[in-house]
Amino acid sequence: MRDVIVIGAGLSGLMSALVLAEAGYRPLVLARGYGRTHWLGGTIDVLPQADLRQGLIRVIEEQAQHPYARIGLSDMEAALKRFRSLMVAARYPYVGGLERNVWLPTALGALRPTALLPATMAAGDMRLGGELLIAGFHELRDFFPRLIAANLQAQGVDARGLYLTLPHGRRRREYTPRTFAELFEQRDFREDVGRQLGYARGMATRIGLPAVLGLEAPLQVVQDLQQLSGAQVFEIPTLPPSIPGMRLVSIFERAITAAGGRMQIGSAVVRAEHGGDRLDALYSEAAAREQRHEARGFVLATGGIAGGGIQTDYQGGVWDTALGLRLQSPAGRAEWFQSGFLQELGHPIFEAGITTNARFQPINCMGEVIFANVVVAGSALAGRDGQQQRNSSGLALCSGWYAAHGLSGMLAA
Amino acid sequence: MQHITTDVLVIGGGATGLGAVRDLAMRGIRAMLVEKGDLTHGTTGRYHGLLHSGGRYVISDPQSARECAHENVVLRRIMPSYIEDTGGLFVTTPWDDADYGEQFVAACQETGVAVEELAVDAALRREPALNPKISRAFEVADAAADSFFAAYGIAHAARQYGATVLNYHYVVDMVRKGERVVAAIVEDLRSGEIKRIEAGYILNAAGAWAGKIAALAGVSVTVRPGKGTMIAMNHRMVNTVINRCKYPHDGDIVVPIHTVAVIGTTDVHVADPDVFGVTADEVTFLLEEGEKLIPGFRRYRALRAWAGVRPLYKDREVSSDRAISRAFKLLRHDERDGVGGMLSIVGGKWTTYRLMAEQAVDVIAQELGVTRPCRTHEEVIPGNEEGKHFWLGHNLSCVETEGSYGELICECELITREQVIDAIVAGGAANIDDIRRSTRLGMGPCQGGFCAYRAAALWDEIRHTQPAGSGARTILDQAPAVPVGVALLHHFLQARWKGLRPIMWGEQVRQASLDHLIYHDLLGIDLLPAELTHRPDRASRLVTEHPAIATEEHAV
Repeated sequence: MRDVIVIGAGLSGLMSALVLAEAGYRPLVLARGYGRTHWLGGTIDVLPQADLRQGLIRVIEEQAQHPYARIGLSDMEAALKRFRSLMVAARYPYVGGLERNVWLPTALGALRPTALLPATMAAGDMRLGGELLIAGFHELRDFFPRLIAANLQAQGVDARGLYLTLPHGRRRREYTPRTFAELFEQRDFREDVGRQLGYARGMATRIGLPAVLGLEAPLQVVQDLQQLSGAQVFEIPTLPPSIPGMRLVSIFERAITAAGGRMQIGSAVVRAEHGGDRLDALYSEAAAREQRHEARGFVLATGGIAGGGIQTDYQGGVWDTALGLRLQSPAGRAEWFQSGFLQELGHPIFEAGITTNARFQPINCMGEVIFANVVVAGSALAGRDGQQQRNSSGLALCSGWYAAHGLSGMLAA
Repeated sequence: MQHITTDVLVIGGGATGLGAVRDLAMRGIRAMLVEKGDLTHGTTGRYHGLLHSGGRYVISDPQSARECAHENVVLRRIMPSYIEDTGGLFVTTPWDDADYGEQFVAACQETGVAVEELAVDAALRREPALNPKISRAFEVADAAADSFFAAYGIAHAARQYGATVLNYHYVVDMVRKGERVVAAIVEDLRSGEIKRIEAGYILNAAGAWAGKIAALAGVSVTVRPGKGTMIAMNHRMVNTVINRCKYPHDGDIVVPIHTVAVIGTTDVHVADPDVFGVTADEVTFLLEEGEKLIPGFRRYRALRAWAGVRPLYKDREVSSDRAISRAFKLLRHDERDGVGGMLSIVGGKWTTYRLMAEQAVDVIAQELGVTRPCRTHEEVIPGNEEGKHFWLGHNLSCVETEGSYGELICECELITREQVIDAIVAGGAANIDDIRRSTRLGMGPCQGGFCAYRAAALWDEIRHTQPAGSGARTILDQAPAVPVGVALLHHFLQARWKGLRPIMWGEQVRQASLDHLIYHDLLGIDLLPAELTHRPDRASRLVTEHPAIATEEHAV
């Protein structure tokens, strides 16, 4: 029997699994896929306010039910510290912290706040002045440098957009961010691109490129391009699939495995077995028949609607896909959504999730703990629309860390 | 004010108006068409895509059945590439009157609708997803037609004969000289310019809006707008058009078209053709009815719900909209109202558009003293010379032949960069919705999740780097000072949302969450200044936001 099973391999599940592995619990990670990791841009967003620390203090003081309030500032710091040290060790360092947000350009030319960002994106910080060059490739359909530059200009940023020529002999049948990440790992490809950037740079001091600068050693790619072009180079996240997201997953996977954990991707948990208030076993989908997994403790890091942890139906039902818990949501489908797709207020259905107590154990409508040996982390938590509130990645890391520590304490007791 | 003179002015850029303008031009008559939105913006672009065999109307409306049966053959000949030859079945389910089958066959024979009974097991072999409890099955010549492609093809053909076709031209007034209508005052919604179009004769082919046009000319035409709601399901559970073998009623047909199957329709009277919406009750009803034809229907993923407004002409008191004939009517205002110079054509079906146009143009030609006969039933629409029907694998086959995988802008519908650019440059698309209508971009499962960003970016790049020149097909006189791509994107996403909201459950909610992740969280469209997402000034305001065509569709 395993000590613990983590359900879900998004950021919250990965962080939980790392904490539990390092605590010696040899976790098994069971997941259908990698959650939203390959969709998100790879930044860690905590809260969108300019003065991040003040914003956090206010949330913690004023919203006792908010996961940040339950975790507390010092544990949030500890979680992000562990994350940063993991990334440094993998030579993919992150910069920033819980003091203030940094504004980075998006692939639409909007300026987006984030707390922690890969060093490969650091020169995109909008506080840095100077002329910007945004460069991309016609072949990459998920990044349009002229659109980005035009929209930045409309916001008073000195920016120019440009297409680079795909180096000779690099034709592929199809181009995705992944194709380009592989191409950038080849030295002669980056040398060609670096030289083109040098010619095209003009007065620009910073160059924004799509976030496809290699999977394994992106920092090296950025440094090479900087040397060849003479400008600072930074990445801008593209439409999914996200190369920065893939980098995060592979760093976490290696660390979890090295610490004694095991990853089993492609194994969706479809139901559970319990006795009283303890969860005993899970069943995952497998080719021939379901596979049964027993454990002493469980982390439910199954994600929200986007991540696939929550499902809805035509009659208005909302439930969690792993344990089958019925979830609270607005009554009737008509109440699930706002009249416009993009509105200041989010869509109520995206706040659906599992209600928990302060230790992130799932509770029923009476406030009673449903399973004493289960903790919940990430977007599966109720009452949060991380996408709308721009805090899903920060919440995932902090709640994953906190829930895993809590479970670890319960198992040791 | 600009003055334009033409022999005949056609009002309405749906199938009928376009058919008429082509017919006029082919008879050597100088003709012009104005449409307030994009071509097919009205009912033509909002129906399930059925090329009627006529079977549906053999009992309720024999005249319409005859017309459909006749035109079915003609359209297959002149525009085969817009038609997928799915064939159709009428099946008797346990909920249907078992005796109707006999009456149906007899009525088919009377009205000239080709029909053949199929053994139930043969029908089930052909369509295994059909309800196994059906008791009878009849095969007819129904097919799936792409009303968008057809409209663009007819418009192109008309232009080749010298006709002028203007979209985004809104009729604000009709001018009478005594007892004769002599001109229309139109507003070019893009530029705000007012134009006076003098015409020897005016054809009111505004469909559900024909009453509004007639009123401007001071004559009364009572069009009873009948709203029909449809749902596109993300799967072709059948490859044949399936009808319930019963007296026409709501939710009794499933049309496989392109990559989806559309269930239709409801029939609800609405007071105004510009104000309608899809209700939750209609969605529930359609799914329940779909379940009777195809068990498990409800469990397929619904992609989108929308409504079209039937241009039913009411010339007598009837108990319900369904009781109004689907046959069309020519209203000669000289004989009917004592007002000359204008003809209204109302009622009818997409399938009979050509016949409607022919009969209307016959009257006009006679008025103008033109004796050349109609040839639209003989001459093939350009691009259809090979005589081959559309087939489902067509787009994929093109992509495979050209090796254009890397050029796909809309992966769901297999639309390449070249097609999008063509829609913008040659097609004169004013917004992403126009690109959608001419290419099907954004009509697949993700409903614009990925392609809307790409299309908006391409639009901006083209309009920034190669400002439109002069001529009728241009969009803006010069490159916009502020990029409008984001405003187009914003508009398109909000417009797609209208059709998504009524069918949001299951995987489609997850899809919406992914789209929300992309546009809100990842791209931060909400973080852009409002002047980029909503254009405040008239000069650069999006034409689609004009109150004349911004149809109100909310009603969940």
